[in-house]
Amino acid sequence: MLANLIKKAFPKSLWVYHCNSGACNGCDIEILNVLTPYYDIERFGMKLVASPRHADVMLVSGAVTRPTLPIVKKAYDAIPSPKLVFGIGSCAIGGGCWFDCYNVTGGADKAVPVNYYIPGCPPRPEAIIYGVALALGLVEKKAAPIELKQMEFPIDMYERNKAWEDRNVIYEMLKD
Amino acid sequence: MPGIEEIKNGLKKKFKDAVVAVEEQSPTRLFVDIKSAKVREISNGIIAMGARYLVSVGYDNISRDGTLGMIHTFGFDRDGIFLALRTSVPESKPVMDSITPDIPNAGWSEREYMDLLGMKFTAHPKPKRLILADDWPEGVHPLRKDIPWNLMPPAAEDVAYQLDECPEGCSIIPVGPYHPTLHEPAHFAVFVDGETIKGSDYRGFMTHRGIEKLCQTQLTYNEIPFVAERICGICGSVHAATYAQAVELAAGIRISRRAEYIRTIMLEIERIHSHLLWLGVAGHLIGFDTVFMQSWRIREPIMWLGERITGNRKTYGMIVIGGVRRDITPEIKEDILSVIGKVEEELLTVKKAIQGDSAIHRRTKGVGYVSTEDTMLWSLVGPVARARNVDIDVRRDFPYAAYDEMKFDVPVFDSNDVWATVLVRLLETFEAIKIIRQCLDKMPNDGPILTELEAPIPPLRHGLMAVEAPRGEAVHYVITGEENAPDRWRVRAPTYPNLQGVPLMLLGNQLADVPIIIGSIDPCFSCTDRMEIVDLRSGAAKTASQRELEELSRNKR
Repeated sequence: MLANLIKKAFPKSLWVYHCNSGACNGCDIEILNVLTPYYDIERFGMKLVASPRHADVMLVSGAVTRPTLPIVKKAYDAIPSPKLVFGIGSCAIGGGCWFDCYNVTGGADKAVPVNYYIPGCPPRPEAIIYGVALALGLVEKKAAPIELKQMEFPIDMYERNKAWEDRNVIYEMLKD
Repeated sequence: MPGIEEIKNGLKKKFKDAVVAVEEQSPTRLFVDIKSAKVREISNGIIAMGARYLVSVGYDNISRDGTLGMIHTFGFDRDGIFLALRTSVPESKPVMDSITPDIPNAGWSEREYMDLLGMKFTAHPKPKRLILADDWPEGVHPLRKDIPWNLMPPAAEDVAYQLDECPEGCSIIPVGPYHPTLHEPAHFAVFVDGETIKGSDYRGFMTHRGIEKLCQTQLTYNEIPFVAERICGICGSVHAATYAQAVELAAGIRISRRAEYIRTIMLEIERIHSHLLWLGVAGHLIGFDTVFMQSWRIREPIMWLGERITGNRKTYGMIVIGGVRRDITPEIKEDILSVIGKVEEELLTVKKAIQGDSAIHRRTKGVGYVSTEDTMLWSLVGPVARARNVDIDVRRDFPYAAYDEMKFDVPVFDSNDVWATVLVRLLETFEAIKIIRQCLDKMPNDGPILTELEAPIPPLRHGLMAVEAPRGEAVHYVITGEENAPDRWRVRAPTYPNLQGVPLMLLGNQLADVPIIIGSIDPCFSCTDRMEIVDLRSGAAKTASQRELEELSRNKR
């Protein structure tokens, strides 16, 4: 359904705004790489633009850190509707390996509504092009989400954390 | 030119009782324990002996003896000796002298530990928040061991960073946090009088993810190299190699020669890819997109080569403690030779085109001038320093891996501007190709690529390692700990000192040159910010927003 909507909403060239919300640069390089002669995404009419005001699509790369959270939101608000958001890379999907660190709020969905995720660490340029082409309805979808039910968490990490929270004074300090 | 004995005796003679103990870990590593009261004096003494300041490491030692430790590290480039000046202050009164007034580059390190450990430094010239977010509560220091790694204090709305005082008659131009020329979030406030830059302030550390804390508390020794690679997506192998070598040094592990050669090859492949990447970005920043497209086109086969060797285009996952994970077979050897041969050929064309292009000359010559003395005073590193006539290169001065057997030139220029950094990086790419050829030629054909550890890594050993990353030297300091994990792991990426020199480079230049000057250090904020949080003291949850800055600048006018 979204693919049909996109065909209607974005009939012409897509202009892309790239927003690094705290990435390690890996995904950002691959995003720039799709512009270069080997991958040349401009043949699909896509162009990287400097200002969110000019953009149709926002690419978010990296875990959203505490300081960038409000700025990412502001950048998203600055894009005129209709707009699409792509989360690029493992960190944008769920926060990556630092998803619960003290300065990281989590994946891109913690800051802005994300329409498409492109996995990888970093995702290959081909994967990025494929993801965008999928969104535009240029290619067929190859995989579908499956509902996974996890019966029990294999590590008792969360219980351990809970116990730590209960006895640690610092949480008490923060409450008031 | 002091040897290790002379340094030892010189310190003992000059500072007598203040030097508590001297430990000579190896002929190139000297650890000196001193009393905290004399730290500034002794640091100055070491600098006067011809050393260069590297980084400071603070650590939480409260559970052992109730102190907060502080280590200032120095390197004697001509003699290949690293010196670590260890001291500590009691947790109840964590105050020591700041060394920043004499060694300006220590400014960030000290501010870092004000935020993360709650230390205080008397006479620090700019004791502002550096790493933690603006809305992070006062008095909570995330690097202390009683703070869990996943602590999330609630966000506050009415906090923002106070920029430095704008000089009289100047206006503030905000650059960032999201700016077309910066591919990562960071905020520069540039103070301009007309078009001329009169000063600047920086509020970065927006990609601080808390990696050091995460690794110290949650991960074990051999998991960390993979996280270390994700400190920076461009020079990942460098961080993994530096970390692995620091642990090996601390624990006294010797790895096979073949593994060292493979490490060298991976580091040099990464250097080629990084320098070509920078060349493209630099071309883009001055509006010369042909350079961008061409150099990235040349670079792409290197990425494919990386994938064939390691399985991933970057973040190779090659280097672990004890060696490397994948071998270089004779087929891959042929492959590497043919790819770098092609790259060399094409790069030569680009080099000629760049050297003869008057537009690039006009945009870069004389821009970002810093005198050689200032470069040394601010301890700038890597191509930024070599372009300013400071002849330092860790690969040659403190050889690691297989660099002791390599023959290569270190390009140094004395025009002290952005143009020289372009040349340094171009020439270094050719040197990297040369080194890879020598490595493949001399590499021993047998020997394990991964050395098994015979015994557990002993606790509380110190290891200090520097590796020449494409951007300069990366310094890692490891204190080994119990339970198969380091007690403290400090990462100093090359952008960390270089970014502190940016205000110096900007001074007196035109506003239009800001992107290329910032770009000329090849900034990598994710490396720099690895363990810090950004926070602005008095603003909302982030650095001052663009609107706030605009209002600020309008009001000032």
